[in-house]
Amino acid sequence: MDFQFDVVVDSIPVLMEGLALTLQITFLGVVGGIALGVLAGLARVYGNVLINGIAMIYIEVIRGTPLVVQVMFIYFALPLATGLRVAALYAAIFAIVLNSGAYIAEIVRGAVLSINKGLIEAGKALGVSSWQNIVYIVGPLAFRRMVPPLGNQVIISLKDTSLFIVIGVGELTRQGQEIIATNFRALEVWTSVALIYLAVTTILAYLLRLLERRIRIL
Amino acid sequence: MTDTETTIEAAGNGAKMKGLVRFQHVDKNFGEVKVLKDIELTIDQGEVVVIVGPSGSGKSTLLRCINGLETISAGRLIIENQFDMSDPKTDLRKVRVEAGMVFQQFNLFPHMTARENVAFGARRARGKAKDEALATADELLARVGLADRGGHYPDELSGGQQQRVAIARALAVGPKLMLFDEPTSALDPELRGEVLGVMRALALEGMTMIVVTHEMAFANSVGTRLIFMDDGRIAHDGDPAEMFANPPSDRFRDFMKDVA
Ligand SMILES: Nc1ncnc2c1ncn2[C@@H]1O[C@H](COP(=O)(O)OP(=O)(O)OP(=O)(O)O)[C@@H](O)[C@H]1O
Ligand SMILES: [Mg+2]
Repeated sequence: MDFQFDVVVDSIPVLMEGLALTLQITFLGVVGGIALGVLAGLARVYGNVLINGIAMIYIEVIRGTPLVVQVMFIYFALPLATGLRVAALYAAIFAIVLNSGAYIAEIVRGAVLSINKGLIEAGKALGVSSWQNIVYIVGPLAFRRMVPPLGNQVIISLKDTSLFIVIGVGELTRQGQEIIATNFRALEVWTSVALIYLAVTTILAYLLRLLERRIRIL
Repeated sequence: MTDTETTIEAAGNGAKMKGLVRFQHVDKNFGEVKVLKDIELTIDQGEVVVIVGPSGSGKSTLLRCINGLETISAGRLIIENQFDMSDPKTDLRKVRVEAGMVFQQFNLFPHMTARENVAFGARRARGKAKDEALATADELLARVGLADRGGHYPDELSGGQQQRVAIARALAVGPKLMLFDEPTSALDPELRGEVLGVMRALALEGMTMIVVTHEMAFANSVGTRLIFMDDGRIAHDGDPAEMFANPPSDRFRDFMKDVA
């Protein structure tokens, strides 16, 4: 086997640029996904038939289609339908928002429904409003339970950004592929790309474990 | 009409309110299942009413109708001569701040300390300032003998301590009436005394209490009135000592044997 370390070294600056974009898409996408997911999750639990139905359709459509198809739809099909063209990077971020939002909605719903009914009754019996019950009792408890699955979703979404190679966003995987197109060193470059993903997800998993230990999951 | 009676009676009575709780031909159904049947019951201020009866006889449901955790299906239920529990426009929050509830499973908020648990209702339901609510909490924790446990989370307290915190939490809102649903049933026998002691002290201070329990000694010594529920009805309603001495029915006698 012929593994050339200098190829790895030479690739690193470009791969780091890709990593920066990967992290950027993941961060913005998941932040948006949390906002959307909390809304959709609460709509599923507390919404009336209409709102609940809209949230459910959104979740099922996203969960029932592959992310690659979703981003191709946003980037290639939507402009044809609406005449609105978005840059590939924004299409990528938007795809993560939509995609992670659907999974996060289910995380939110599960966490809210897992809260002991007795606690909600205790709140009601004290005479606090339904809103106060949600804000001060259900919310904080559900949030703690959401942390582990949310962390998991961040890691999944980070790896999912590699699929944006199909719309030419210069994230980590795409950068790797482009390096190989010029130097034909698939072994070194894919090894490097894989190790960079692994390093980032390992760090994320470690931070998540620290966070889980700090908050008391009740 | 009972409405006018109610007002006159209330107006004519200075210190103690007559008819703090009034059930008038109340039914409660869960779908097809009739859980409360034609309940007639008036409870005045200062009474300590102990409710006993077999499992499934409707004791919890009766309590939960009083603070609107359940909605009655028929009849009228008037709380404090002003809140009509069959009227959907009644603001349940106003009823609930007047009727504190203590649950079998304590139901303390696990993410709050004992102090925060007790302050919660005072702050959020009564709108007290944070400092004031916490001062109330400290005072009440001292009253239930837990002055030194304010900073503990529920999972750092014994069952008996948790239930005493739960009593303080209900009192912090300043209710006129306290509802207890088997407050000692989830506790090991050796922890029951401390909770019953707090309840006894509360009764001696004149709190109106409705207590579902199997603690017959408590019923006998603290209760001013004993109600025996059977199959959704109030089967007997009388003086505890008298009912224990002369069981009014075989049904009641058998039940007492089973509990003892
Ligand atoms: N939410 C509900 N939906 C349907 N049925 C219910 C509901 N709550 C209570 N019931 C039924 O109503 C009946 C009375 O219940 P309740 O809890 O009031 O009895 P209880 O006297 O408190 O019994 P226990 O001593 O076991 O606590 C039971 O048959 C119970 O199954
Ligand atoms: Mg019960």
